[in-house]
Amino acid sequence: MNAYIRMWKAQSGAELLRTMRNRRFFMLGIVMPVMLYFVFVASVGDNVQIGGIDWKAYYLISMTAFGIIGSSLNSLGPRLSQERTQGWAKWLRTTPLPNSAYLFSKILAQAAIHVGIIVLMFAVGILVKHIHMPAHFWLESALWLLFGMIPFLALGTLLGTFDAPEVVTVLSTVLQMMLSLLGGLWTPTEQMPAWLVNVAHALPSYRFAEGAWNIMAGRAIPWETPAILLGYAAVFILLAVWRLSRKGARA
Amino acid sequence: MSPAIDLNKVTKRFGKKVAVQELSLRVERGTSMALLGRNGAGKTTTLSMLLGVSSPTEGRLSVLGGKPTDAKVRDRLGAMMQEVSVIERLRVEETIELVRKYYDKPLPLRTLLDWSGLTPHAKLMTQGLSGGQKRRLSFALALAGDPELLFLDEPTVGMDIESRQRFWETIEQLKARGKTLILTTHHMDEAERIADRVVVIDEGILKADGTLDEIRRLNRVRTMTFTAGPDVTPERLRALIGGAETAWDGRRVRLTAADTDRLLRTLIRDGADISDIEISAGGLEQALQTIWSRERKGETA
Repeated sequence: MNAYIRMWKAQSGAELLRTMRNRRFFMLGIVMPVMLYFVFVASVGDNVQIGGIDWKAYYLISMTAFGIIGSSLNSLGPRLSQERTQGWAKWLRTTPLPNSAYLFSKILAQAAIHVGIIVLMFAVGILVKHIHMPAHFWLESALWLLFGMIPFLALGTLLGTFDAPEVVTVLSTVLQMMLSLLGGLWTPTEQMPAWLVNVAHALPSYRFAEGAWNIMAGRAIPWETPAILLGYAAVFILLAVWRLSRKGARA
Repeated sequence: MSPAIDLNKVTKRFGKKVAVQELSLRVERGTSMALLGRNGAGKTTTLSMLLGVSSPTEGRLSVLGGKPTDAKVRDRLGAMMQEVSVIERLRVEETIELVRKYYDKPLPLRTLLDWSGLTPHAKLMTQGLSGGQKRRLSFALALAGDPELLFLDEPTVGMDIESRQRFWETIEQLKARGKTLILTTHHMDEAERIADRVVVIDEGILKADGTLDEIRRLNRVRTMTFTAGPDVTPERLRALIGGAETAWDGRRVRLTAADTDRLLRTLIRDGADISDIEISAGGLEQALQTIWSRERKGETA
């Protein structure tokens, strides 16, 4: 067990370091959400109410979710794809590092990064935009966002099963943008046509942010919201496992 | 003590294609073996099975007395794969440190940097390394756990002359320390330098197995080199030796034939003015060509 923990810690630390050195992660996971937050809050106004909460709080959740989705897809997918296609993952199978430690270390590092994104975004909201909420609202929202990242980590893992890292890199960014746009993270669903609202409600990106919007508004989270997120996570994980087992059979 | 490697009638199929067919092989600990063959002969597939990266379709194999997928076995082996791959956004020393943590008794970082010739490049980011430097990093990573058994799959592809020299010096040191070495290569000089034993496979089937000298003796062709006097013309030589293959470099002649002794007697009997005569049995490369030639003619090795 000690050996497992030693390997897992080393692998997680290395993954964290690699993500911090990734300019793409910084652009899509941190710089862009913070910039968009300031631009859209300034253009709409601080005192507008959306979904029962101030716009600046509502949009803070939207952009935090946007950053976490971007980090999940743009870090995990291309990296897994690259390590698999270039032989690194195959070589690792000749070492004592268990597959589970390899994958969990990536997920743990990603979770640590997401804690950082949440802390940064919430700090911007509290210190710069002076959003006042009870402390437990902040804490519960943060916990919800950490739970809600699961389907996006699963989607990143699924993208990592494809064999062209360059295509996966582009696809990850396109998916981040599409999920955010259609899921109401850039424009609230209140301003969308009815048919588009139905699309948004079916997407994990909307459900991801919806839970935290509800916490900030002091409302209960509908039961179907975590159910839909877990359903997406299950589908993405099963697809990833299926694709990897097919590739394993050909090895 | 169990052998380093034991393959018992191992077969590997990919759909209908048979990559390795009923291969049986036993390699004792502390020895070095070169696994040779043409492209697609089944060398890398055999190594993949020995490394636990893929499983045999039929047959049994053991590595260091256990299954190659067992973490305790993997802790005692190292591998340098054909594909050169390193993870990006880590420094050379960080990558080696990371991999050292996978093993119970790793070699010191400084030793690994020194043996791989990467000490001056320790602070470089891996994505900035040249192809040869990445190869050397792969070597350092293969040695990280101080392995008892080291697999080297075409290890020097892309290395410059100096790096190759340093690489083989380190391998010789490891051999002297009693490590078991399994090498695949297309460079016969490398196999001759390091291997105690040579195994030749073709289309997944074992074609020859023996010591370096035994395999060399399979060679039927010898090379005779001599300096020809002014009266020895290509026409006269052709008339004397018949169909033997000759190559002229000024007055220096290289003659390749299976029966060089008879040809030499013929030349002397005829009074041909030849001097500085050298006859060599040929190396591993010629021996392999003999094996392929027998294959084409349907003879058994």
